[in-house]
Amino acid sequence: MKSSQDEGAATPAKARRQLLAGAIAALALSMAPVTAASAATAPMSEADTACLGCHSIEGLEKTLDNGEKLPLHVAGEGFAASVHGVFGCASCHAAIDPARHPAAASSIASIRQFSIERAGACQMCHSDALDQYGGSLHSARVREGHPLAPVCTGCHGAHAVSPRTAYETCVGCHAADLDAHGDWLPNAALHQEVVSCAACHAPDAARMIDLRLYDGAASKWVVEEEGAPLFGQLAQAADTNGDGLDANELRNLLQEVNRGAARPRTLRGRVELRTDVEAHRLAEKSRAIRACDNCHQYGAEPFRNVTVSVTGPDGRPVRYPAHKDVLGSALAVQSLPEFYAIGGTRSRILDALLVLVLLGGAGVPIGHMTLKWLFRKYRARRARSGGGNDAR
Amino acid sequence: MQRIYVHPLPVRIWHWINAFGFVALILTGVQLRYMDLINVMSFKTAVNLHNWIGFVLIANFFVWLLFYLFSDKIRVYHPELSPMKHFRGSLRQLQYYGYGIFRGDPNPHHVTAYHKFNPLQSMMYQIIMLLIVPLQFFTGLLLWDLKHFAGAVEFFGGVRVVATVHVLCFIFFVGFILVHPYLASLGHTPSAHFKAMITGYEEIEKDPG
Repeated sequence: MKSSQDEGAATPAKARRQLLAGAIAALALSMAPVTAASAATAPMSEADTACLGCHSIEGLEKTLDNGEKLPLHVAGEGFAASVHGVFGCASCHAAIDPARHPAAASSIASIRQFSIERAGACQMCHSDALDQYGGSLHSARVREGHPLAPVCTGCHGAHAVSPRTAYETCVGCHAADLDAHGDWLPNAALHQEVVSCAACHAPDAARMIDLRLYDGAASKWVVEEEGAPLFGQLAQAADTNGDGLDANELRNLLQEVNRGAARPRTLRGRVELRTDVEAHRLAEKSRAIRACDNCHQYGAEPFRNVTVSVTGPDGRPVRYPAHKDVLGSALAVQSLPEFYAIGGTRSRILDALLVLVLLGGAGVPIGHMTLKWLFRKYRARRARSGGGNDAR
Repeated sequence: MQRIYVHPLPVRIWHWINAFGFVALILTGVQLRYMDLINVMSFKTAVNLHNWIGFVLIANFFVWLLFYLFSDKIRVYHPELSPMKHFRGSLRQLQYYGYGIFRGDPNPHHVTAYHKFNPLQSMMYQIIMLLIVPLQFFTGLLLWDLKHFAGAVEFFGGVRVVATVHVLCFIFFVGFILVHPYLASLGHTPSAHFKAMITGYEEIEKDPG
């Protein structure tokens, strides 16, 4: 695990080790779909067990140059169950030479400095996210020396890294700011439930609507069972022409998902980013999206891309594409009863009905008036002859 | 020309607040729903106006309800208990609007203080005031704060169902607001019923017979 040697100057040997770690990580990533699901139960490698021989000791810590105590304890179970557990300690701590660890003489300025430098390990695999982060408000604050501005571990944790929702991640630090949304945003609590933070606070990112399976009776998202990836297969089977789910196919999928289910599962929609990577490019508050019509109008950008998903065993969504028209279809009353956004999910059938009523509402008086005008002379003649009482 | 007092002051106040309020609700509702086509005001302004006007009209509805509940004028809303009589009266009224009015036939309905609605109006206003208007207000209230009313929204089948009912009622009122003033202009003069809803007095033509 962590050693002061990680912070040493780059040497050819270190570069080789990092290259090796990168290769290991790439190999492990390619196996991730197979291995991630069983990470929680996978036995630890001998090397990892050796690391934890010392780093599982509660209270193990190192005194830094500024007097701070850097905790060196790692919860083995948390790491094993994390998304990185399958990669092993060396993937991120490749610079450590077991023969010289722990280094007798090492120098770490502060916990803050250590955290900033360790982001280099994340860069090895997550360079795309780091590129986005580099242009973010958080990164700018780090460069300015703000002591609380987060680096990678600030949001994702160091060892027990898991796919937490963006909401939970943000609220960890910004809980006090949630209420402030109510000062200007109608139904603020509802918006915070159905719109991911990054959907507004990463204004340059591409958004979408994710319709995720929800268990209303248990008040929680449906989580697919480990080793039984059924949702993807059902979605593929429902998608008869292979071009994404249309309104009929979505209804059929829901029927299949609920076949034999003890409790009905419904779909709840959320505005999310199309790629999680872009969630790292969080902007200044002044640039956050505040205009309602970014979502509340027909054809708004987030509503042009729709996915249907279930929460996978590892917490990450398993997604399947759907047509954007499913949101405004007449069948949505049946298949999406719990998702509605004024304007964004507008029904074309109701639009057509409104046009018909407008035409009828204007046409009936105009037609009636016209007929009255055409019959005016007849009425006058009748009135004169005493056959009627209305000459108008 | 005889004058009969058929619209008491509370009813007139309720009527005009309701009329202008519903027009405002329709306009702000159209703005909310068709932001991509119409841009008279911001979405947020339309939401705030729509909510405030909605609450004013809910309060106004209770002015109407309480007035009729606690006055003998409620008789104007008493339904005709004989289906055949109601059916014959409705048919006669339809025949008048669709045929007799062009010939100059007299209106088969004779207004009195306790019988101001013709059979078609009587049926329509019972449906509107006791079903569609309350339904519109109720669904609007649920949509106003979905988190607070989450249990009720779920009970009625979800936000999509509630919103669809609200929009269907909105579409009905769009048609109503177009046709109602025209029908109101079919009195013995085009402005007679409008004046009556301001003064309270309907002018009744003497029976030519």
